[in-house]
Amino acid sequence: MIDSTTEMTGAGGNGPSAPAVELTGITKRFGGIVACDQVDLALHRGRIHGILGENGAGKSTLMKVLIGLVLPDAGAIRIDGQPRTIHDPLDAASLGIAMVHQHFSLVDQLTVWENVALGEGGRLSSSEVRNRVTAISEQYGLEIDPEARVGELTAGLRQRVEIIKCLRRDPHILVFDEPTSVLTPEESEQLFGTLREVVAAEGRAVVLVSHKLDEVLHATDEITIMRQGRVVARMPTQEADARSLARAMVGREVSLRSERAAFGLAEVDDAGLDSEPVSPAEQKTASPALDSIGSALRIEGAAVRGRGGAVLLDDLSLELKAGEIVGVAGVEGNGQRTLGDVLSSLVPLNAGRVVVNGAEVPAGSPGAMAKAGVAVIPEDRHDSGVVLDMTVAENLLMVNPDRVARHGVMDKRRMVETAQKLVEEFDIGCSGPDAPLWSLSGGNQQRVVLARELVAEPHVLVAAQPTRGLDVGAIEYMTDRLRQTAFDGVAVLLISSELEEILELSDRIVVMSRGRIVGELSSADANLETLGLLMGGSAESTAPDGPGLSRRPPDVGAGL
Amino acid sequence: MTRGARLAEWVALYAASIVAALALASVIVETTGGDWWPVMEALVDGSIMAPGRWGETLGVAVPLLLVALGTVISAKAGLINIGQEGQLLIGAAFAVYFSFLIGGPGPLNLVIIMLFGALGGAVWASVAGLLRFWRGVPEVLSTLLLVTVSAQAIGYGLKQDWLLLAPGGDRGNRNQVSSQLADDNRIPRPDLFGNEFPITVYLAVALAVVVAYVLARTVWGFRLRMLGHNARAAQRAGVSSTAYGASALAIGGAFAGLAGAAMFAGGGFSFGNYQLVPGFSDNIGWTGLLVALVARERALPAVVAAFVFAGLRTGAGFVNSTGVESRITDVVQGLLVLALLVPPAVIFLRDRRRARAAATERV
Amino acid sequence: MLIDFFSAVGDVLSSESTYINGALFAALLAFAATGEWVAEKSGTLNISVEAMLLSGAFAGALGYHFTDSVAVAIVLGAIGGLLIAIVQAEMSHRLTADQFVVGLTLNILVFGLAGFLDREIDPQATFATKLEIPLLVDIPLFGEALFGEPWPFYLLYGLVPFSWWLVFRTRWGLELRAAGENPQSADVSGIDVNRRRRQSIYYAGLTSGLGGAFFLFARLAAFDDSIIGGRGFIAIAAVIFGGWTLWGTMGGCILFAGALSFQLSLQGLGYDLNAELLQALPFLVTIGAMAIFAKRVRPPAALARPFIRGLK
Repeated sequence: MIDSTTEMTGAGGNGPSAPAVELTGITKRFGGIVACDQVDLALHRGRIHGILGENGAGKSTLMKVLIGLVLPDAGAIRIDGQPRTIHDPLDAASLGIAMVHQHFSLVDQLTVWENVALGEGGRLSSSEVRNRVTAISEQYGLEIDPEARVGELTAGLRQRVEIIKCLRRDPHILVFDEPTSVLTPEESEQLFGTLREVVAAEGRAVVLVSHKLDEVLHATDEITIMRQGRVVARMPTQEADARSLARAMVGREVSLRSERAAFGLAEVDDAGLDSEPVSPAEQKTASPALDSIGSALRIEGAAVRGRGGAVLLDDLSLELKAGEIVGVAGVEGNGQRTLGDVLSSLVPLNAGRVVVNGAEVPAGSPGAMAKAGVAVIPEDRHDSGVVLDMTVAENLLMVNPDRVARHGVMDKRRMVETAQKLVEEFDIGCSGPDAPLWSLSGGNQQRVVLARELVAEPHVLVAAQPTRGLDVGAIEYMTDRLRQTAFDGVAVLLISSELEEILELSDRIVVMSRGRIVGELSSADANLETLGLLMGGSAESTAPDGPGLSRRPPDVGAGL
Repeated sequence: MTRGARLAEWVALYAASIVAALALASVIVETTGGDWWPVMEALVDGSIMAPGRWGETLGVAVPLLLVALGTVISAKAGLINIGQEGQLLIGAAFAVYFSFLIGGPGPLNLVIIMLFGALGGAVWASVAGLLRFWRGVPEVLSTLLLVTVSAQAIGYGLKQDWLLLAPGGDRGNRNQVSSQLADDNRIPRPDLFGNEFPITVYLAVALAVVVAYVLARTVWGFRLRMLGHNARAAQRAGVSSTAYGASALAIGGAFAGLAGAAMFAGGGFSFGNYQLVPGFSDNIGWTGLLVALVARERALPAVVAAFVFAGLRTGAGFVNSTGVESRITDVVQGLLVLALLVPPAVIFLRDRRRARAAATERV
Repeated sequence: MLIDFFSAVGDVLSSESTYINGALFAALLAFAATGEWVAEKSGTLNISVEAMLLSGAFAGALGYHFTDSVAVAIVLGAIGGLLIAIVQAEMSHRLTADQFVVGLTLNILVFGLAGFLDREIDPQATFATKLEIPLLVDIPLFGEALFGEPWPFYLLYGLVPFSWWLVFRTRWGLELRAAGENPQSADVSGIDVNRRRRQSIYYAGLTSGLGGAFFLFARLAAFDDSIIGGRGFIAIAAVIFGGWTLWGTMGGCILFAGALSFQLSLQGLGYDLNAELLQALPFLVTIGAMAIFAKRVRPPAALARPFIRGLK
């Protein structure tokens, strides 16, 4: 605190002095699993510290320890050299630690300024909070209306509110957890600009938690890499390269293209990685000739309005042929979720229609899509994919319990047998078909969904964010399965906010923005830049070199 | 933890909670100048030990169990129906009205009573169902509000001779009472070891088994549970929340209505005199709801819980003779329910913590 | 006959006592509904308000019985309501027992306990002194109803605006609303959701207890276990009818109390105007209002949903 001014030297940082935060020997177990194992971490003022690791590497737990959501089993925390215990987020806040959460910390029904004020102590003064909001938004170029209701804002603006909420407390240490998943590449760029400013001008310490290599390489000053709960490497960013980072992160040489896609390496690093990329065009030759096959799924002029008339889908049309993988790219919150819901029979259409294999399907009618042959791996499997309080067997038979029933009575023996077969075929890790679903890990829950959906022999498979929250092995398994499914003649609709994943798997890519399809590209024409521009809504063209491309392309992947 | 240790823990927690509740009740009695032990003895005598009493208790347990079974069904669909008291009343009113309207010989009339009782309860619960699935009114609010409406509706019906009011000659000097059910239309009450109880006891227990089986083993029960646990997953899998939810509410109401009919035609000291009067439901609907909740929304444990709660009622009849006001049994019942809520809550909280810890392998 | 009836309605509407009675009923409902509104804003559908009212009335009676002071009795009434609130809050928002089971059980328990203790102790009560506000009390028709009431009535004039201020202008209120709308977010923001909810139930207990004691000393002056007679449920109906706004809730209280008082006055004149319908009216109107507005009026998003950290 005292001599922090001496090291406000901005990016790159000079020699480290007393760290703003020092974590030593942090260990946290959940049951038998060690989420953090003897983790040491030092954060310095005036620096952006990247924490890189796969999902499940322990990054989130470590951050939760720092902001008081998780109490460590062992280890010490020093803030400005003083030993401290952080029991809850209020403790953390009083020590100047704040976190920009991704999805959870805003209350839709409250206004921007009320959200910003939430969780502080002291008397509530609306004018004071509003003034501060305005001041902060001017200072960092985070324009926002303090009186707006948060529920009515876009994902990008909501993140602004989160950031302002953090900065309002004038924290010394700012934690960003996977901040770019809701942003366009352009918005991400802007965010990193803001981060620089926060760090350089005011000597704060920033932590950027990410599983994307390019992001960390691009925006940080130093990097800590975690794997299986341990710190496996740390280095100044200048000395890091994509290949070594990837190797440290996974613990072996990264060769598979799908893995590289998962880390955001698809377009980033062509020097470091040795394998020959298989272009999607080449893969396509393996699947049946597409042109001769009729459409498996056709959506015509679909429109959906939400509560209060909000436009969720707006005259959306889309066609999928059997055996092709169509990727739906777009910034989160632009109608992808609604599209998935429509294809899950969860939402009726206000206009338009859905045709599966030549027959119109009544949207929103319970089970209609599943019956017509639309399988879904939902974005949030806990939302509509599984029933946590039922058994593995019951979850596997959700869509079609009649398979094991006679006269409306379920045959317990056949149920267990059927389930056991699927458990073996899809290698679902569980104590047996009678295990409650909540006892399974995320990856295995996802396999239950996959098994159930594929065994129904669908015409169409909708995979929404299918690899989110999975570890590398599970990602590889999932992407292989998707390819295989398409190869078997199923039309696959891949909805994802991971551009690399889309570029990697799709034969054809459409871009969604504000509930519409704003562009379509063949995978040969698509790259991060063209997609990024379409996603930001800056180009309405279906061609990559349309008039909308005059703006400077986002700098993703460029060095420092 | 082993199965045995778990069971022992449950038993210990429940025992401790019940002892604590009874101890608190005894403190209340003693500080107001009464004696606790005679009250306890009276409760046991009045519910089981004294001649004919366990039969009486069985008779009271019938409507409690029926209401509880209905509650179990609607709860499995994820619906919070707390209007059983009203559904029971309307069921009883339907039974009374149609019994006298249609008439007919004994057994046939009995069938009419039971069927229309169930229908009445189902209709009343379906008002809440309609409001829920057509207009989006939360069923917990509508079922609650409809309880008072039903009581007033019965009060009104009992004033109109074209509805429920008995003809002039039959009602003596009372102004809100229905005709009395004729002897040969009543539910038979055979005598067993000196205890007399309505044969609906067998019906209620059989229904408990049926409900448990249907929920656990049939496709319908499977889909209903799916709806209750995760409505969106169910909708995707083809379970219409409207169709299943509305029918679960209706069936729940039908059970409550059946309970009302069974009270009307079943006799016993607690339930009027084969007549419908204001206040006929006598909190059986509320208590039946508690029975279901104490049984943690499972059909077979509800059988036991219904008997215990019925025992508190029949036992109350003997408490007055001890010189302690019999309302103390309401207190005992309330304290017992609160006490019974504690062990599952404590264990739930602990298990959740463990489950979360186990499920958070990858944080 | 019909003309007689209409002239009777005219008599009732022009009689001060209709308004005085109406104001007393409305005040009882308003005390309870204000607290209930606060509790519901925090996400609790508190159905033990009936028990809180009864407990407040009985504690008031006990207080007067032992101290001969209405003021002390009123304070004890609030504490009586608070005691029930503590049981409700601890059971449902610490032990995570189902809030409806707890509420229903408390209604039965308190009804039994008050009846039991009433017979064992038989506490005596009295009327609270009336406080007439000069000039205002002389306003025709409404004057005495609004400005010539027993003194505890006037607490309401402070309580209602205070509750509004508490919910919309203080940090406590902001956190409470966040807990009622999105407990997960509130939790992440560092708010102890269940603590706020418990506190809001305490508040409901205090105001309901106050209301119960007020009613005892304002209208009946003798305790009886039927003194509340389901009006706690009318208070809940008023909150729902009011679409979870405080002013709408107050409107509901006045409307429902007006209907009640209107019917009583007509009865006093010998007209039995379908008493059942009028008794059921608050509930029918509320159900009707919900059926019409339920899709437009939004209850607090997490109303009646328990919050357990890490469990949606």
